[in-house]
Amino acid sequence: MNVKSIFGLAAALVCGALATGLAQAQTIKIGAPLALTGGLADEGKKQAIAYDMWLKRINAQGGINVGGKKMRVELVQYDYQTQEQRAQQLAEKLIVDDKVDFLLAPFGSGHTKVVAGVAERYGVPVMATSASSDVIFNQGYKFLFGTLAPNSGSVENLIAVVTKGIPSAKRIAILGREDVFPKAMATVMSDAAKKAGLEIISLEYYPVGALDLATPIAKIRSLKPDWIYITGYSKDLVLAKKQMADLNVKAPVVTMITGPVYREFIDSLGPLAEGVTSASWWHHSAQFKGDDPWGSTKAFYDEFVAREKSDPDYVHAAAAAALVALQKAIEKAGTIDKAKVRDALASLDIMTFYGPIKFSANGMNGGRDLPIIQVQGGKPVVLHPESIKQGTLKPVQ
Amino acid sequence: MDYGQVVANGLMIGAVYACIAVGFSLVWGVLNVINMMHGSFIMLGGYLTFFAWLHLKVSPIVSVVPVAAILFVVGYLIQYLMINRVVMQPVLTTLTLTFGLDMILYNFMNLWFTATPRRVVLDLGRLDLGGVILPLDRVVAMGLALLLTGLLYTVMRTSRIGRAIVAVRMDRDAAALMGIRVNKVYAITFGIGALMAGACGALVAVVFPITTSVTGLFLGKAFVICVIGGLGSVPGALVGGLALGLIEAFAGFWFSPQTAILAGFVIMLVLLVVRPTGLVGRRGYE
Repeated sequence: MNVKSIFGLAAALVCGALATGLAQAQTIKIGAPLALTGGLADEGKKQAIAYDMWLKRINAQGGINVGGKKMRVELVQYDYQTQEQRAQQLAEKLIVDDKVDFLLAPFGSGHTKVVAGVAERYGVPVMATSASSDVIFNQGYKFLFGTLAPNSGSVENLIAVVTKGIPSAKRIAILGREDVFPKAMATVMSDAAKKAGLEIISLEYYPVGALDLATPIAKIRSLKPDWIYITGYSKDLVLAKKQMADLNVKAPVVTMITGPVYREFIDSLGPLAEGVTSASWWHHSAQFKGDDPWGSTKAFYDEFVAREKSDPDYVHAAAAAALVALQKAIEKAGTIDKAKVRDALASLDIMTFYGPIKFSANGMNGGRDLPIIQVQGGKPVVLHPESIKQGTLKPVQ
Repeated sequence: MDYGQVVANGLMIGAVYACIAVGFSLVWGVLNVINMMHGSFIMLGGYLTFFAWLHLKVSPIVSVVPVAAILFVVGYLIQYLMINRVVMQPVLTTLTLTFGLDMILYNFMNLWFTATPRRVVLDLGRLDLGGVILPLDRVVAMGLALLLTGLLYTVMRTSRIGRAIVAVRMDRDAAALMGIRVNKVYAITFGIGALMAGACGALVAVVFPITTSVTGLFLGKAFVICVIGGLGSVPGALVGGLALGLIEAFAGFWFSPQTAILAGFVIMLVLLVVRPTGLVGRRGYE
């Protein structure tokens, strides 16, 4: 081997290394710890679907426009098995080992908090797709941004709809799951109802590991409330509604947060779901036109229905919207520098298929007129806001 | 709310608890194997019941029998082919094995059935006994749970295989010398444990939403009930189950739902200190 060929080889190696370096630099890596198994597996899968829809769209366009150059996006996903500890470990692994540029938080306020804590330490912007509890956003995290609006907005709308529709509903019994989001929804309801001049006749919490709710529900029966308000996840709420029927517990208004928002709640309860009211963060009948890979709510809805053969719910939409917000912030910053993208997120003000996205100082999407729904004829019907109203509040039979 | 309703709630759930624990207790008492798969077995039974109801329109009350039979075969094979190889090892070895098998089973169920809560819509109505309301589907589940537990008790007391199981539990070596094929008895015992879990799954499907995410809760209940009632005997599981049901109902009524679960564990701890054999357990199986 002569000197020339050694030089040639070295040059080739250097070029090769440079080329791979460039190729690597041309992809944006986004890390996502997801609950694909365990208690939140359904919710985790919803996020995965939304991420995949966005990823296909954005890469079909050649990627995100970063300062005039298109960069493709790679999503690094891990299953954290609905275990808080693992979510934390995987967030760290995504940042340190996989060297992701940005993070997506898992489902729910509790696990979002854990991942946001890790991201904050490393200065990695993290998008919360389904956290709506103030306790997550008042931790002073600088790198956390969420697409859901605060819990308080939804209960205020709910109270307005109920007091207008059924003015006799004055005495409320609240039963909440002892867990970050459901507990926050029970507490904000209690505060807002008191402010609205309603009477809280009971406020109880059931533990995460509750198998049976007969005792708290029988207690509610003896109080004869006008309004029963229960928070929890689908499994708890299906059980609660079934046990209400079993024990003959009735009230003119029954609210479950966020049961009726999900298809599976109505499917598994059948006629028992009738009349249950709820609050949501998004409904596909609220049409928006926006500057994002879909361009309109209808385009997002149509693609989703064609793909999944069912209606999208707020989890899907808020997850896709989180990626849209990140994409727009990267385009605005013209770089994938973490601190600069963070600043771009903080000052973002855009319209998307999901609705307006503008983060408040605490990183949460600004208050919006959140939809209130009721199950009527086996379907969720929008009662509020006026612009997308599909029906009026009816007392539960 | 009067005490009648609290007692009724406690007894109805307590009978289901007894059914949850009885198979687990048997396997633990006889084989000294802590079967971490027990919760998943129950849910597998629940899913089989659900799909039989959904697609074949078979009532859960009928499908108890075939579901229990299927689970027996599953349990028998798992013990015969796998656990028997390590059954003489320390309890941690078998625990690790069943823990691993549980992860496999659990994740397969998650993959096939998803964690979406589903429900067998039976809604039989309710019985009103002077203000004490008894949902009929729970009454049916309670009746079946007591029947199954009673059946198992009779089998253990009177049948040849029942006596063989008891003999192996008391003294494995002596039983082997008497001509009992210990490995086969082990497989049958584990099969019966799975059978009871499967049958219990069918009952659980009547009263609870079915989802893979509750398998751990069932396992946790089984542990508490075994400690309260006493290990390895059918009456122990029955007493433990009913006791836990009542403890939770009263704690939830007097204090709060959070206290209900706490109370179960506190009683368990107290019993571990003052009466490690459980309420009706015999010495030597604590």
